Amino acid sequence: MKTYLLASLAILLACCSIGTAFAADSDADVEMLVFPDSYTASSVSNGGTISGVVKFEGDMPEMKMLEITKDQAICGATEKYDEALVVGEGNALKNTIVYLIDISQGKDFDKATKLEMDQKGCQFTPHVQIVPVGVRLTMLNSDKVNHNVHIFSSINKPVNKQQTKNRRRMPLAAVKKAEGPVSVKCDIHGWMSAWIAYVPHPYFAVTNEKGEFTLEDVPAGTYKLGYWHEACGSNSESPVSITVEAGGTVTQDFALKLK
Amino acid sequence: MRNKNVVSLLILVLGTLGILALTHAQNAPEASEKGKEVYEQSCAHCHGTEGRGDGAAAENLLPQPRDFTRGLYKIRSTESGELPTDQDLFDIITEGMPGSSMPGWETALSANERWEVVAYIKTFHSGFKEREAPPREISLEGKIPFSEESVEIGKGLYTELGCVECHGNVGRGDGTSAPTLTDAWNFQTWPANLTQGWTYRGGSDTEDIFKRFIGGIAGSPMPAFEGDSFLHFGLTSEESKRLTELENMDEMTEADEEASNQFYEKMDEAVNIALNRVEGVELSAAEQQLYDNAMKVVYEKSWHLANYVKSLMPEERPEPAIGNNVLRSQYIQGELPTIDDAAWETSEARYFPLVGQIVVEPRQFNPTIDAVNVKSFYNDTEVVFLFIWDDRTYTTGDETDETTGKPLEDALAVQFPVKVPQGPTAPKPYFLGGGRLPVYLWHWKASAPEQVTELTAKGINAAEVQEVQADLQVKSTYTDGQYKLWVKRALKTEDKKDLQLESGVFVPIAFSAWDGSNGDIDTKRTITSWYTFVLEPVPSSRRFIYPPLIAILSFGLLVGLRAAVQRRNSVS
Repeated sequence: MKTYLLASLAILLACCSIGTAFAADSDADVEMLVFPDSYTASSVSNGGTISGVVKFEGDMPEMKMLEITKDQAICGATEKYDEALVVGEGNALKNTIVYLIDISQGKDFDKATKLEMDQKGCQFTPHVQIVPVGVRLTMLNSDKVNHNVHIFSSINKPVNKQQTKNRRRMPLAAVKKAEGPVSVKCDIHGWMSAWIAYVPHPYFAVTNEKGEFTLEDVPAGTYKLGYWHEACGSNSESPVSITVEAGGTVTQDFALKLK
Repeated sequence: MRNKNVVSLLILVLGTLGILALTHAQNAPEASEKGKEVYEQSCAHCHGTEGRGDGAAAENLLPQPRDFTRGLYKIRSTESGELPTDQDLFDIITEGMPGSSMPGWETALSANERWEVVAYIKTFHSGFKEREAPPREISLEGKIPFSEESVEIGKGLYTELGCVECHGNVGRGDGTSAPTLTDAWNFQTWPANLTQGWTYRGGSDTEDIFKRFIGGIAGSPMPAFEGDSFLHFGLTSEESKRLTELENMDEMTEADEEASNQFYEKMDEAVNIALNRVEGVELSAAEQQLYDNAMKVVYEKSWHLANYVKSLMPEERPEPAIGNNVLRSQYIQGELPTIDDAAWETSEARYFPLVGQIVVEPRQFNPTIDAVNVKSFYNDTEVVFLFIWDDRTYTTGDETDETTGKPLEDALAVQFPVKVPQGPTAPKPYFLGGGRLPVYLWHWKASAPEQVTELTAKGINAAEVQEVQADLQVKSTYTDGQYKLWVKRALKTEDKKDLQLESGVFVPIAFSAWDGSNGDIDTKRTITSWYTFVLEPVPSSRRFIYPPLIAILSFGLLVGLRAAVQRRNSVS
């Protein structure tokens, strides 16, 4: 016993006096969405539409191929790329959240939409998922392998649940507070990564592979329009001011650079 | 008889009171100046004055000191997503965390001071203040006692639930996901080697294992196997068994499909209730009943699993190979056992704990190899060793060290003096060789699994490959996170730089191990200090030969003497 104590003491002492740096690249610099203090849902008639295209500004980045380290038969069947930065034709930027920052009144969530995030070929689909506060997200497992759904929430309760290979559907408890985007990982397959934004109102859109987004049924008024992108950051410090007219359509495009 | 009854009753009453006292979790007092003072004096060096886990000593520690501001606590008796109880925090402060740098403070701080610190730590995360209800604790009721049958069921679950992904086939933390795991702060983290109970951060009692399993280890990759995410939640054990059969079918008939759908509906209902409960919806009596029934099955399974995990470890950490435990090479006549010979099972291994080498740059502050276990046999001409050690990864040099450009690979070195010190006061060679007294080394690398190189070293960085390599026979295996290295050598060699072995002589022996995937290279490695090994003398044969021989010789001498005297007398 004594030998262990002495050894641990030696290690401790050495640790205190000698410096070897361990670099920690933490997620702390992930920017957050901005939510209104309160939101009241009511029916919206003759609302306007905000639409636009988000493009990537800069040289076409090279797609980063993911290293598949296990379950090759299922996970490695096709080549997989890091979805942190997906730039399509004409520099279209996928997976950008575009949203209204300061809306306090508007339509209710579309309750009919099924909220599902799939784990297929050991990749999360979609890569960015909007989840309304108070609504359950169902995790699907289309792979015949074990996954664990690890959601790094800090305002809401963090989640880390095993979804075994035979569990096709696993609904997750609804959260109470708006938060995000929070990182989603599968520790079993370390390359799997996605984002969930828990939101208090429905005026959130995620750009498709053409970089397009649409926010519909926006009550007439002037709003701050924000964006968020995993690799390009957000504009919550200096959002775009946009005026929506009843029944009208406004266009707002964005060009984002790597942060 | 009556007395006996009274005594039993007394024991019962006292026992119950004792259990009540033990299970009655205490709450921390209000945060105070006093707590802050104690914290800043005793805790802030590692955990930082703001509780961010960024104290002055933090950068060298792995696992990193807890960052209290995120509210992620690994060791809890509470359900997944819940904060710990005050008692949890108090216990960790009191007992420390094995396998990490967190010491126990039982003697350094009074119980009062520890409670004050608990109160102060809670101020770093708003969740403690904001929580409306006390945290839901994991119930330990209905514990299933340890039995072979329970272990067997647990073993099945271990595979079924995917524990193998990280912890490996037999629990040595060598699962295929092990090398890529990171914690919530993006630090690399290794899954527990379940066969080494003494390294479990939160203790290795069956109850501890049960709680870690149900509640998960927050901030780490270890998921919570809480109710609704459990395999076939809501089904009875029989139903679950049937559904597993159905799920494993390649093709289902319509009836099978129908049956499995019914099971899924039943599961969905139970899951829905469990989620309602977590979301704070009040359950009806019927729902509560259904939930309780479902959880009963989950908890039963979890106890089986905890029993299985418990079965993987020895009851206590083995004693180091000193005193009565020195490594004794056993004599056998004839052929020495091969690497997979059953004879090894008859010999008890000696345990040599390893620590990180932190004297010479580059250092190893975060060792991943716990110890090397050794067995040995010898015969009239040869000695054979079996070295056994756990390493979570099999690394043969595919990746290179950034600073030196050398390949990173697993390795083991066994160290002897060139000349055995004579007598207990004679100086041993300086550790790892130095100056006048060189050491004789066997160096094995995973990239050359059937080769051991002999070296002579006169200092930690002054090792030379011997010109004359003895005829060493070497075999090695790597299975389920464990290396076995088998080395056989002649007792005597012609080479003056080699150690010559003799029965009954106590020989210093030491070890170094490298885990390539942990960045171990050159002096960045794990080491032991000097231990001792001996070719255990053979008592049997000599005992029967020498005494009679001496008796006969003495008798002969006497007879001869007598004859000589008689002869002289007769002459005179």
